[in-house]
Amino acid sequence: MLKYLVILLDDSAVSYCHYESGKERKLISLEALKSAILFAMKENLNVHIVWPDYELPKDYKEIINGIDHINFADASFAHDADILVANPLDWDNIPEKSVVVVKTGIRDFIEKPEVFLPLLKRVARLNILFEDISVFKDEMVTGFSYALDFLTDAIIEQYKKQNKVQVNILTDRLILDQMNNCNAGDESVTLAPDGQFYVCPAFYFGGEKSVGNPNEGVHIKNSQLFRLDHAPICRNCDAYQCNRCVWLNKQQTLEVNTPGHEQCVICHLERNASKRMLDKIREIGEFLPGKEIPDIDYLDPFEKIEK
Amino acid sequence: MLEKTVRTFTFIVTKDCQLACKYCYLVGKNDKERMSFNTAKAAIDYVLSDSYISSSHGIDFSFIGGEPFLEIELIDRICDYIKSELFWRNHHWFDNYVFSFSTNGINYNSKEVQNFIKKNYTHLSIGITIDGTKLKHDINRVWKDNPNKGSYDDVVKNIPLWLSQYPDEATKVTISSADLPYITESVLHLYSLGIHTVNINVVFEDVWKDGDDNLFENELIKLADAIIEGSYYMDYECSLFSDGIGKPLDPVNDNGNWCGSGHMLSVDAAGNFYPCTRFAAYSLREKKPVIIGNVRAGIDKNKLRPFLTLDRLTQSPQKCINCEVASGCAWCQGENYDAADTNTIYQRSTAICKMHKARVRANNYYWNKLFRKLELEGKREEFELNRPKNQNPIC
Ligand code: SF4
Ligand code: SF4
Ligand code: SF4
Repeated sequence: MLKYLVILLDDSAVSYCHYESGKERKLISLEALKSAILFAMKENLNVHIVWPDYELPKDYKEIINGIDHINFADASFAHDADILVANPLDWDNIPEKSVVVVKTGIRDFIEKPEVFLPLLKRVARLNILFEDISVFKDEMVTGFSYALDFLTDAIIEQYKKQNKVQVNILTDRLILDQMNNCNAGDESVTLAPDGQFYVCPAFYFGGEKSVGNPNEGVHIKNSQLFRLDHAPICRNCDAYQCNRCVWLNKQQTLEVNTPGHEQCVICHLERNASKRMLDKIREIGEFLPGKEIPDIDYLDPFEKIEK
Repeated sequence: MLEKTVRTFTFIVTKDCQLACKYCYLVGKNDKERMSFNTAKAAIDYVLSDSYISSSHGIDFSFIGGEPFLEIELIDRICDYIKSELFWRNHHWFDNYVFSFSTNGINYNSKEVQNFIKKNYTHLSIGITIDGTKLKHDINRVWKDNPNKGSYDDVVKNIPLWLSQYPDEATKVTISSADLPYITESVLHLYSLGIHTVNINVVFEDVWKDGDDNLFENELIKLADAIIEGSYYMDYECSLFSDGIGKPLDPVNDNGNWCGSGHMLSVDAAGNFYPCTRFAAYSLREKKPVIIGNVRAGIDKNKLRPFLTLDRLTQSPQKCINCEVASGCAWCQGENYDAADTNTIYQRSTAICKMHKARVRANNYYWNKLFRKLELEGKREEFELNRPKNQNPIC
């Protein structure tokens, strides 16, 4: 069921996920924005506004403020947004206790996990987003796991100081008991600056067909394929923190319901690192009693189905 | 359990054919795209050296077209290369391979084809497709350069030779709307030619008209009567009648995919790999081809994953999940993809729904009538011990 509406205010609005925004500015029309907000109100949707890095006219802000919403913005532009997309140059200016998204390459992460240390001390939550998942190779398994363990130790150091920082790829799995995926196309759609709905921003920038508009509603063909119960590999998986990115799925396997090997392996390395983290925290004291992350003998649930 | 390995590897050696059959799904046939030996060699080298792809116990190297025997010299060279590579690589497929062909039979008696058969006799499976009586066959199977001329006479002259070499081979008949009134006489005709197994399937495409299901049912009842009254059931087989069809399917234990795409890799003249031939451009009406790699870069295994994890329930609409007569109701992944609302293999086309239901009714009639007759004659047990075993292939 649809729960969220993402509104991209401009083609150049900050990218917070597995896609690149447009290079040129293209602002949404006031009319489209109004109808989207009206649509969200009538459909009871939570609204996420994705901002560009320039000031918008006053009438735009008035319309946006007419509905409860969450703001996504570039950390170098707006420090008061709910979710900041940041890069290392912004680190020092990020307000304490922010929620921050950092996009990084897999190789950079393996080579320099220490980049994130300053952030762990000041933010409430860090979402690390790998922007080049398809370059992952099985030879990187060890290096990637080491980088995760390095961050784990740093997070535990913060816990010891009573700083309960969250890092999506490590701490989310500790508390989840079921899938918590992106669910684009099932629970969320995106309104693009052209006034049309798309499954998510990546589908808009990737040139996919629109799936409706605020006047005609959302009409996703084969919408069942965006649901977990129609994803044969994922519905048997317990890497609950995984985004299960349907856009990456489509790029890698040509099907929105089927993940590629790399996405699965990365998320299982994260899952297994979460398990090690749980064990380490419990060496210090009681933590999440009753919570267990079972041992598994695969890194890609496709292998489990094969067996 | 999921079977990951490739069971069939198909060379699309040519897209040319002497015929222009009216039901042919190969919408892009042409006489330009012939496979070069180097492309075939590169495909073989890749397949034999990839441990994932070549992990099955045995392999069917299949040759299709167009009409594959138009390229018999190339095929002969390819087969020689496969055999020598299996030997030199000490490959586990050595002596566990078959070369298979689906041919229109027109040049079956040519010197080149016959020499090839003699050379590879024990490793061949050759099916000649003949649609039945002259009238029925010639409705659809006309010459490309003379659409008013049917090809029946040119094929049937080779049937005795074929059956003398491969007496157990089957023929495959594809039924479309115009063929419905001719099914009975066609099957009986094929039996009379000495063909003991006739595999028939209705086309998967959305071509069925109002009333076709009743026509089909009545025709099958006529066929049932003829087979039973003529006692053909002891020695002959027609895949339309099978006592396993028309039952509900268990959501857990009967959740497999019907179609073998993904396990039936194909390569075309350009060196592109496909999950099966139906995903090549020349087979598709509406959609782009699904290319999963090429002979230089190999197969992108991510693109095989959707095929290898497909199950019945995930791709079926609710009516099929609840269907009381679901068993035996087939689908073709390529046709599903071509007909789907989006670019997916996960939307099952149900264009044959009413035809399957009609078949089930006639099938029930057939088995009720046959078993009653056998019981009255005290021959039920004898029949069960000796009945022909049909593999009922659909692709
Ligand atoms: S499908 Fe979800 S995770 Fe993937 S790019 Fe779109 S919003 Fe991001
Ligand atoms: S790890 Fe793989 S199988 Fe599991 S949810 Fe993510 S994409 Fe799906
Ligand atoms: S297509 Fe029709 S006959 Fe076949 S399984 Fe579905 S509902 Fe049943």
